[in-house]
Amino acid sequence: MPLRSLAWRLALWVLAGATLVFVASGYALFRMVGHPLLEQAQREAGALASQGSSLVQERLDDITNTSRVLASVIGPRPLDAAPLIHDALAGNADIASLAAAFVPASTAAQEAGQSPFVSRQSDGTLAQRDLFKDPQPYWTAAWFQQGVACTQGCWHPVFWSQSRHRLLVSYSAPMLVDGKIIGVINADITLDWLQGVLSSMHLPVGTHAFVIDQQGSYLANDAIDQVGHKADAALLNQLSAPASEHRLTLQGERTWIYDQPIQGTHWKLVVAVPEALIYAQVRHAFMSVLVLGALTLLLLGLIVMITIRRTLMPLGVLAERAELVARGALDFALPRIRHCDEIGRLTHAFDRMRLELATHLEELTRVAQEQARLASELDIAQQIQTALLPGPHYLDARCHNFELFAVLKPARTVGGDLYSYFMLPNQRFCFMVGDVADKGIPAALFMARTITLAKAMASRAQSPQQLLQLINEELCRNNESCMFVTLLCGFLDVATGQMTLASAGHDPPALWGNHAPRWLPVVSGPALGLDEDASFPAMRMRLKPGDTLLAYTDGVTEAANKAMEQYGGDRLLARLGQFHDAGDETGHGDPAKFLVEDVEAFSTGHGQSDDIALLALRWNHAGLDKGTPMLDLVFPASLEKVFETLDLCEETLREAGLRSDVRADVRLVLEELMVNMVHHGHRTAGEGMIGLRMTVVKEAVLAELNHNGAPFDPLQLESPTLTGDLADRDDDGGLGIHLVRAMSSELNYTHDEDGNHLQLRFAHPTEHGHGT
Amino acid sequence: MALNLRIDPLGPERSTLYLEGRLDAMSFGDFDKEADKVLEQMADGSTLVLDLSALDYISSAGLRSIAKARKTMRARDGHTLLVNPQVQVRKVFDIVKAVPVKEIFENVRELDDYLDRIQRRVLDGGDEVE
Repeated sequence: MPLRSLAWRLALWVLAGATLVFVASGYALFRMVGHPLLEQAQREAGALASQGSSLVQERLDDITNTSRVLASVIGPRPLDAAPLIHDALAGNADIASLAAAFVPASTAAQEAGQSPFVSRQSDGTLAQRDLFKDPQPYWTAAWFQQGVACTQGCWHPVFWSQSRHRLLVSYSAPMLVDGKIIGVINADITLDWLQGVLSSMHLPVGTHAFVIDQQGSYLANDAIDQVGHKADAALLNQLSAPASEHRLTLQGERTWIYDQPIQGTHWKLVVAVPEALIYAQVRHAFMSVLVLGALTLLLLGLIVMITIRRTLMPLGVLAERAELVARGALDFALPRIRHCDEIGRLTHAFDRMRLELATHLEELTRVAQEQARLASELDIAQQIQTALLPGPHYLDARCHNFELFAVLKPARTVGGDLYSYFMLPNQRFCFMVGDVADKGIPAALFMARTITLAKAMASRAQSPQQLLQLINEELCRNNESCMFVTLLCGFLDVATGQMTLASAGHDPPALWGNHAPRWLPVVSGPALGLDEDASFPAMRMRLKPGDTLLAYTDGVTEAANKAMEQYGGDRLLARLGQFHDAGDETGHGDPAKFLVEDVEAFSTGHGQSDDIALLALRWNHAGLDKGTPMLDLVFPASLEKVFETLDLCEETLREAGLRSDVRADVRLVLEELMVNMVHHGHRTAGEGMIGLRMTVVKEAVLAELNHNGAPFDPLQLESPTLTGDLADRDDDGGLGIHLVRAMSSELNYTHDEDGNHLQLRFAHPTEHGHGT
Repeated sequence: MALNLRIDPLGPERSTLYLEGRLDAMSFGDFDKEADKVLEQMADGSTLVLDLSALDYISSAGLRSIAKARKTMRARDGHTLLVNPQVQVRKVFDIVKAVPVKEIFENVRELDDYLDRIQRRVLDGGDEVE
């Protein structure tokens, strides 16, 4: 856990870095300081060796001087040899024994009569004896032979004294008389004494010193048991080299050797210093520095850690607060800002962030609520839109002449596709399918506007093309957003199956029943809402029993599957054909539902991308309603024929039981219109023909006049000025049309490539009195 | 026969034309011919009475013929008075405001009273009332 803290980590890294630097510099220091230290140690050791050498030499000089003085004194007076030797030995404690040995049979020996030998006993007393009386003759002994040979006086090798049980070394100085050697003064010193001299050097601990003679034997040594023995060959080999300092391994440890010859002898004083001892100093110093450094580092680390912890303390608090923020809590205290450093700025920014976050959260909540509200509004909008539509199935209740199926399936909650149908007066049934450009709420609103307008305008319209015109005019008003709707509208005479279709930019419908499914070639006008002056051609046809008309929106044909293939018109026709063939056996199903399911299956996995609306109208009825008289005539446009027809009408209407006043109204209107056609409707070529179709339906007489003459819209004619007396008028035109407009309950005019089409309706109340 | 016409009496001061049946685009020619026959013998300030009690039907062509006759009479300072139009015909008259209401009479007696009043006024030296 502490290692996760930034402060701890920082402190550790700083400490580690400092340690590394310290160790590295310590090592460099060690290397730098080590060499001078070694040199100093060697200098010291060398000095020690020469000091020891001088000390030994000084003491030995005493002995050699004493011996030489004795030799020069005793030579001329051999008789005094004994007392002189005795006195000299008593006066010089360094010497273990003294002897004055005369060459036998020399004059001096005869004069002295003895070769006196005085030695110091272990109790300190001096004992004297005559060497001539020794059982072994001394003149054959090695020390004597060498002493005689050595004219300048010299030191002899170590020997073991049987009588004194000591290791001794002796110095002999010849006694000369007239250039002839008469004897030798021999001084013995014990190696114990030499050892004592060596010990007085007060060598540093660990340092060894020894004296070695020309034969390589130890004369004195710190290790007493080595005294008298031969030194090992490696050491001797090193010592024979000219340098005064050597490095070798002695008894398993590396040692520096410093030798110094002792003047007056062939001996060497050697000081041996183990290398470890030399470096011990350095190591000691280094260890002190190391310990001090470690302590310093520890202290430094502590200070660094405390400082960092103290500095970074607010950061820890901020981290905790940030975790709180992550859990959604925003109400907490922040550390006080002490300095305007990075942490101060961070704290400040954190505080600001918290405040803004709170504001933002509030905003988010508000937006979420707003979205929920919008969603619920959208749901309500969907319900309202659904309520705008009539039910998906309609069966003509009165005579089962036709059956209607419809489906609306928006791609989103609400959509721009629409279908609608409703009954109009005079047994007319209006149906429509439309598609508003665009989708979503704007389209839904426009769809609502369209469907409402259609319903409101329908009663004023005599034909689908007129209805389209009326809706178009309304939709063009204030249509800044340039929304538009394609609409296919049809009026069906539920008594006869006579159907008029008009299209405003909509896909043509399909028709099947008595033949395989095929498109109905409905000539389309522009879409509604764009061009105020648009007009829409009409297509008239009569449905045969078993015919089904299907109107749809492009959501069907443009439905795509995963491979981005479109459903398409050909597939639509093919599927309708299959549906129709299957229907022969299973009875009549719902083609709209069938198609929607088929489209859904087709576009599985891709999803619905556009709204879908479908409306299928099946015409079941074969003939006319019984007792509904009807005229359907076509005749040349001549007065005679017109009046023949009028009489026929009159007769028909009378047979239908219509009241005479209604009959007269109908006759008047028809006469005016037809006479007009005869007089004014001349065509440039071909014969003028008039078509009259008349139907008596419940409470109304419907008449349709068709004339292949020049366009003439009686509705556009201005009303004549009526002064109250026709005789006042100069022209006599317009009266007939005025009458027509006044007499007919409804009048509708269209013109197409076939000529003029007038649709008329006369109310005929059956039970009550005349309406006028 | 669409239209039957009868003149009784025929005189320069006052003639009565009886119309029966339909006066329409087919028959207005017959009417015009008969009316011309009557009109040409009418004196200035005379009165033409059209008895419509048997007229079932009139169309704009018929209205124009009647208006023509009235124009001719007016040119001679005469009067054209209509008697007893049937409902259907009256309706057409109303729609096009064909004739001043005071020149239409329910029956022959009302007509006679009216003519008497005019005559008296003329005798009294009053202005002719329209």
